[in-house]
Amino acid sequence: MEFVAKLAFWFYTLIVVGGAFMAATDASLVRSLVGLVATMFGVAGLYMLMDATFIAFMQILIYVGGVSVLIFFAIMLTRAAPTGDEAMHRPLRKRINALFSMLVPALVLSVAIVQHLPNGNKLPKDVPLAELGKGLMGPYLLNFELISVVLFVAMAGAVMLAWRQWGIKK
Amino acid sequence: MSPLQLYQLVALLLLCVGLYGFIWRRSLVGMLICLELMLNGAGLSIVAACQLTPANAVLGQLGTLLVMGLAAAEATLVLAIVYVVTRRFKTSESIIVSELKR
Repeated sequence: MEFVAKLAFWFYTLIVVGGAFMAATDASLVRSLVGLVATMFGVAGLYMLMDATFIAFMQILIYVGGVSVLIFFAIMLTRAAPTGDEAMHRPLRKRINALFSMLVPALVLSVAIVQHLPNGNKLPKDVPLAELGKGLMGPYLLNFELISVVLFVAMAGAVMLAWRQWGIKK
Repeated sequence: MSPLQLYQLVALLLLCVGLYGFIWRRSLVGMLICLELMLNGAGLSIVAACQLTPANAVLGQLGTLLVMGLAAAEATLVLAIVYVVTRRFKTSESIIVSELKR
């Protein structure tokens, strides 16, 4: 059984890594979005492996179902062509900047993870769904209500931004 | 290596690839995609830290849920901003938009 868990972990990790590199570097934004969706599915699989079933389904529901559709709308509204901005040449300085912004946190944090992280449990905890529900209705009720307010404000703000005719010449 | 370390390394890789793409991308939508990568890494890190250590598991899972909700709200707003910017500047390239004039 442990072998199957390891196999599943590396399978999901492969999906996550491949999707992430595709999302970050592909010249076509649509293909980059496909990579992002693959990464989200891989992360959902990792949540499943960690016995966080509810979070895994929420990941698929919110990210794959909601956020990726929003990003697809953004791609269509900006009319991003595969030969557009993203395919153009970048100066050397930009390459070096991008590489350094990746390497510095990678070095610092990977040393911290490998050397100073406690070993942790072998097996994940089993948290029943009823506990999560009690948490949402008990100690974290205010956060639960506030996130709905934030979502409402974001939606209303988005509609207002796009509805007023900013930048149209009279 | 323990499972906790492996999960945290995957989360770190998502953060680093997201940072790389965030600088590398030229268009605002591409930067949004890389931002979502980083947020996914954050969620993975939180869930790994709460499920595989003696920490409070309910708090960690609900915190990840809140991160997802905030990511959805942020994507909505960025969609509206990108729409307005594209209409005004006729492009969504960040280097042109950052000059703040047409």
